[in-house]
Amino acid sequence: MKPLTTETMILNMGPHHPSTHGVLRFILRTDGEVIHMCRPDVGYLHRGLEKIAEQLPYAHFMPYTDRLDYLAAMNCNLGYAVTVEQAADIEVPPRAEYIRVLAAELNRIISHLISVGTFAMDIGAVTPFTHTIREREWVNDLFEELCGARLTYNYIRFGGVAFDLPEGFFDRLSQFLDYFEPRLEQYNRFISKNKIFKERLVGVAVISWQQALDYALVGPNLRASGIDWDLRRDEPYSVYGDLEFDVPVGTSEVGVVGDCYTRYWVRIWEMEQSVRILRQCIAKMPEGPYQTKVKRKLKVEPGEIYVRTEAPRGELGFYLISQGGIRPHRLKIRTGSFSAMSIVEELGSGLMVADLVALIASLDVVAPEVDR
Amino acid sequence: MEAQGILERIKRIIGEADLVWVDDQLGDPYLVVPKEKLRRLAIYLKGDPHLAFDTLMCLSGVHNMGERDEMEVAYHLYSLRHRHQFILKVTVDRPAFFPHFYLRVDSVSGIWPAAAWMEREAYDMFGIHFVGHDDFRRLLLPTDWEGHPLQKDYQESDVYRGIGTMREEIEGVLAEESG
Repeated sequence: MKPLTTETMILNMGPHHPSTHGVLRFILRTDGEVIHMCRPDVGYLHRGLEKIAEQLPYAHFMPYTDRLDYLAAMNCNLGYAVTVEQAADIEVPPRAEYIRVLAAELNRIISHLISVGTFAMDIGAVTPFTHTIREREWVNDLFEELCGARLTYNYIRFGGVAFDLPEGFFDRLSQFLDYFEPRLEQYNRFISKNKIFKERLVGVAVISWQQALDYALVGPNLRASGIDWDLRRDEPYSVYGDLEFDVPVGTSEVGVVGDCYTRYWVRIWEMEQSVRILRQCIAKMPEGPYQTKVKRKLKVEPGEIYVRTEAPRGELGFYLISQGGIRPHRLKIRTGSFSAMSIVEELGSGLMVADLVALIASLDVVAPEVDR
Repeated sequence: MEAQGILERIKRIIGEADLVWVDDQLGDPYLVVPKEKLRRLAIYLKGDPHLAFDTLMCLSGVHNMGERDEMEVAYHLYSLRHRHQFILKVTVDRPAFFPHFYLRVDSVSGIWPAAAWMEREAYDMFGIHFVGHDDFRRLLLPTDWEGHPLQKDYQESDVYRGIGTMREEIEGVLAEESG
């Protein structure tokens, strides 16, 4: 009789898989349910944004930054605008700065809503996603009022924003915030404190702070590993220096520092802080112009600059090299999802297949941001 | 620590020879090091408790085709412990032949694991070979792609796997299909 043997199996997860959030493939070598090797294969959504940037005048690249991370288009706009403004020395009027922060924080909320919703969906709870999408729809309506678009906004311009706030915008925004804040508590009852949800996530795929630093994790993923670092507070850009907010950092209150649950929990907390920032923006919004005049043919002095801003998926860095022309010589975009994706290879081995799904969802990877 | 102070420390360790300190007009000053000294310097930058550059924020390839045809690799380092940053650069002349032999830079992926993917991307886009990288392949483009698109003189080939890449040809195919 043939002796009983086991063997490993190569399994392709993706490119079309509901939990990969975009087109993304994992090559897994599994032994039953346990993953021995996990190799992410990215690049399906590579559109050559960096090459495009080299061939367009500065202002023309703005719509492309929308497509960089389509769940947080406003933050990508902001990152690019801040970079070019610093390089070309453009002043931004205070009203525009507040409008920008307002738009960016609203975008952070809906980005985290999608993240939390799909997270729950990926590990098997479909209903929370419909709830978070419902809230997001309201914000999309607000954004449509603001700039006419619902997903790729192209709203922020060098030296300001494209349009002033519409009449009665604050009323509708406050209405949303009043509605949304208690909702967070409802999410907590609904998902965060759910026993099954916790048991799926607590202690799964722990990223130590050392690993987080080694792989240059950023944003909520870094903070979930217990590192107290937020660009908005520590290296304030725009008007974040005048606003008061806390930076949620992962604790071992539930689960372990750096596990999937903490990464989820940090995002819920961040939404709460964003609401706080939004309320301050409403209270402090100054009068005045919302745009400064910028030369149509914008030129940047020769030199180079690296500017990073805090997007929902962590630091978004633009490395701009100019040779004095109307186009950048080189524009490198460093995104949060990219570094989050690179750690999957190390963390993946040893996990169960179902836990890999939880890991990817908890890192909040968005494929177009990895591939650019 | 300020960038100047960091530079002084570096000079004390690896000597002043061949180091070029550039005060940039726009952003922060950076240090150009010869590629032979890169790995030693990187180990030092991470290991020295007074510098402790624990994160590699960004690694980017740059292709300059001005007076000299050269490739640059820029390393943006940050220390979360001391909250200071530093920019390192390595330049390599682009050879006319045998790029896999002459266009080589030491890999820092053993020092900052984040560099592993960033170096793969730099290879993919610029064709810079990183020596000592343990999983060196293309990252974003398919393995059979020809050329490295972010090089300034890159010419896209007309055909990829039998599919035309030019607009006229695609339109021709579409016209054929529709009627």
